[in-house]
Amino acid sequence: MFEAFKWWRGLLIAFGLLALMRVVVPLPFANEVVIFSIYTIGCSFLLGRVGFISFGQPAYLAIGAYGTGFYLFYFGTNPFVGLLVGIAAGFVAAAIVGPLFVRLRSDYFALVNLALAVIVFYLMQKVLADVTKGDNGLWFLTNIASTPVLDISRPDQFFIFATLVAFFVWAFYKYLDDTLFGACCLATKINEDKLQFLGYSNFKVRLLAFVIANTTTALAGGLYAVYLGFVSPDMTSPARAADPVIVTILGGAGTLYGPLVGTIAYTGMKDVISKLIGNWELFIGFLLVFIMLAGEKGIVGTIEPWLKRIVSRRKAGSRQA
Amino acid sequence: MSPGVNLLEAQKLNVSYGEARVLFDVDFRIDDREIVACVGRNGAGKTTLLRTIAGFVKPVSGTVTADGTSLVGLPAYAIARRGVKYVPQDKKVFADLTVRENLELGSYATKDYDWDQVTGYFPKLKVLMDRKAGHLSGGERQMLMIGRAILGKPRVLLVDEPTEGLAPGIVDQLKEVFRDLSGKTALAIVEQNLPLVCAISTRIYAMKEGRIVAELPGAGATTPVECEQYV
Amino acid sequence: MDAQLLLSGIIFGLSIGSIFFLMAIGLSLCFGLMRVISLDQLLYYSIGGYLTYTVSVGTGSVWLGVLAGLVVAGITAFAVERFVFRRIYDRDVAFSMITTFGILIGGVGVIKAIWGLVPRPVAMPAGDQVDILGTFVPGYRLIVIVVAILVYVAIWLFLNRTIVGKAIRAGIEDVDHVEGLGINVYRLFTITFIIAGTLSGLAGGLHAPLIMVDPSMGLEVIALVFMVVIIGGLGSIKGTAVSALLVGQVMSLGSLIYAPLAQMAPFAIMLLILLIKPTGLYGSPLLKR
Repeated sequence: MFEAFKWWRGLLIAFGLLALMRVVVPLPFANEVVIFSIYTIGCSFLLGRVGFISFGQPAYLAIGAYGTGFYLFYFGTNPFVGLLVGIAAGFVAAAIVGPLFVRLRSDYFALVNLALAVIVFYLMQKVLADVTKGDNGLWFLTNIASTPVLDISRPDQFFIFATLVAFFVWAFYKYLDDTLFGACCLATKINEDKLQFLGYSNFKVRLLAFVIANTTTALAGGLYAVYLGFVSPDMTSPARAADPVIVTILGGAGTLYGPLVGTIAYTGMKDVISKLIGNWELFIGFLLVFIMLAGEKGIVGTIEPWLKRIVSRRKAGSRQA
Repeated sequence: MSPGVNLLEAQKLNVSYGEARVLFDVDFRIDDREIVACVGRNGAGKTTLLRTIAGFVKPVSGTVTADGTSLVGLPAYAIARRGVKYVPQDKKVFADLTVRENLELGSYATKDYDWDQVTGYFPKLKVLMDRKAGHLSGGERQMLMIGRAILGKPRVLLVDEPTEGLAPGIVDQLKEVFRDLSGKTALAIVEQNLPLVCAISTRIYAMKEGRIVAELPGAGATTPVECEQYV
Repeated sequence: MDAQLLLSGIIFGLSIGSIFFLMAIGLSLCFGLMRVISLDQLLYYSIGGYLTYTVSVGTGSVWLGVLAGLVVAGITAFAVERFVFRRIYDRDVAFSMITTFGILIGGVGVIKAIWGLVPRPVAMPAGDQVDILGTFVPGYRLIVIVVAILVYVAIWLFLNRTIVGKAIRAGIEDVDHVEGLGINVYRLFTITFIIAGTLSGLAGGLHAPLIMVDPSMGLEVIALVFMVVIIGGLGSIKGTAVSALLVGQVMSLGSLIYAPLAQMAPFAIMLLILLIKPTGLYGSPLLKR
């Protein structure tokens, strides 16, 4: 019982703090943080645990968003069903391209994903303009029906729902770390030959990781669609392709809470810096270079050892007493 | 030059790859006019030892000195320019370049444009001059690798598994070349071929699991069977 | 489709392909020799474009501007190599990608601070139409194509006829062996990086009159340029040239058939080629270190 509590403790603290944040920051900011951190955790998992860097995350985000968007625009009104459609769309897309992509070397993998993002962008903007309304996007805010118990068509209740979703997503990724599969992911990153010798298939491990990560990304896309009430090709613009990678690095790739901390820092800094000096790129660009040259540990990676030291010292202290 | 002058000396060399320690307090020296052999099983750390001396691997601790000056921390090209050259075991010549161009690069690095010694040892390279190195046989590649390494008259040549996978005729030829070469350039050879090692070397180091376990006399004083015991 | 439209389409495609080729050479060489994916080349491209704008406004000569652009781009590349790349050569590819992306957006920020957000037009030099087989095509586009051909020849001569070029080719095969001979490979890296930056600057300068220069001009072509490099195979000059030609034609002729296809078709081709041959058209399987 106590062990189980210990396992959940970190998550409860983190998301408790996140929920508290709602009191001090504007609601749109809080919602953005929750969705974006879900968006980033897939990327962080791929980069930090499996060793795949993807510059194509917007593709899966958009697939999820458009899946939800199509449902809410053309077929139904229930946002929960819409979300499920978005997740399913992301899962199917990842399962289709995954077997082709995960065979590639990591450098090609990054660029092929970028290419996929560009393809999705033009698909939504031009080729399928008849159903996607091109650059205008699909607007369905008024289509979304109110739902009983938790009315996620209202931003404040949406925040509660999104935070719960994020909590379970994090619990799921924390659980993954404890499983054999999580160990296999790390093994394929560090030494793919050895994993092969042990009788595991690199291909299967990578494919599963890829599908999991990108289905999570599609979930974030679906949440965006429900929250904003519209989808447009802008979401998958190549110019924004690196956002999740930046946030991942900022937070610390592969750390559990990195995506959360990274997103808060990124979104917060973007707000503040844009207002103060108006030159966001200059700041984030050099910050990124600095983090990489300083040892690429990111915020969480830097703080974690320091936190652990404090905790262990306190424990040691209480034992003496 | 009197014997006993340490041309190249490594002391208390410790090397790790990440967490895994591969060399433990290795002491190793080469004197003038010597052919020092280093024997041991795969994974004993022989290649790592040569690569560390040549500057491709940075040691955790320990010293490497040539003529009394320290080599540790110098980039590999600077060590090569000081006359300590490493010939890797992969027999990878620059496949897309001709034999001539391969040798030109050796000359460019050392400013030694006199190829007479190279073609003297390996007359065959003369006819192959304009062939792409990728089309050479294994033995011809090894000739080219040693040929381009001896340009600039290095003081020490570190040769990794020179006879691995080569035909006996070429092995005999290399043996003669090594003997003759040792008059000018000291050699350290990592080798699995124990009869060859016992025939040409002046001293033999036996390595096991990252440690030097024995230093044996060479020049026929140790038989291959005796040598075998230590590896 | 009538012949005149087709011919002007081909010329248009060749000129676009030429610009891509100039940028892609640098990326390809940097990857081949140093195993870094140098996203910051896109910054040198923007620098080339902006200096062409400023100098052409000041002096009235676009050519002088292109010259200034490539010189400043080369110098910037040199500085970045010295202060950033020196520290990251032995890291993996993902690492260099993220670091250079940081340099790219940081540089975009600098450009915004100096030139502002508004897109700027650059006057087209040699604006006359040239008559080829009864079709009039813009003279400037022909000049761009000629410059790309000259650069291809010059790079070929450099790599095949000079000792430094030969050392770079050898380094693309195995950089440790080159260093083992006693060649200062870090000097080769610096030279390669300056060449790459200069050519990216040249590409930006030449492209400027055909588009408008704006702060995110590098980000707009990033995907296309990478596609050219990947289709050709990372590390191969010949492959880069072939794939730049291919992509230019696909974009240009594709838009004659069905406009939205023009931007998507090259990416579809890239996916197809990678699935058949995961190292690109001319990428050698030996490239793994």
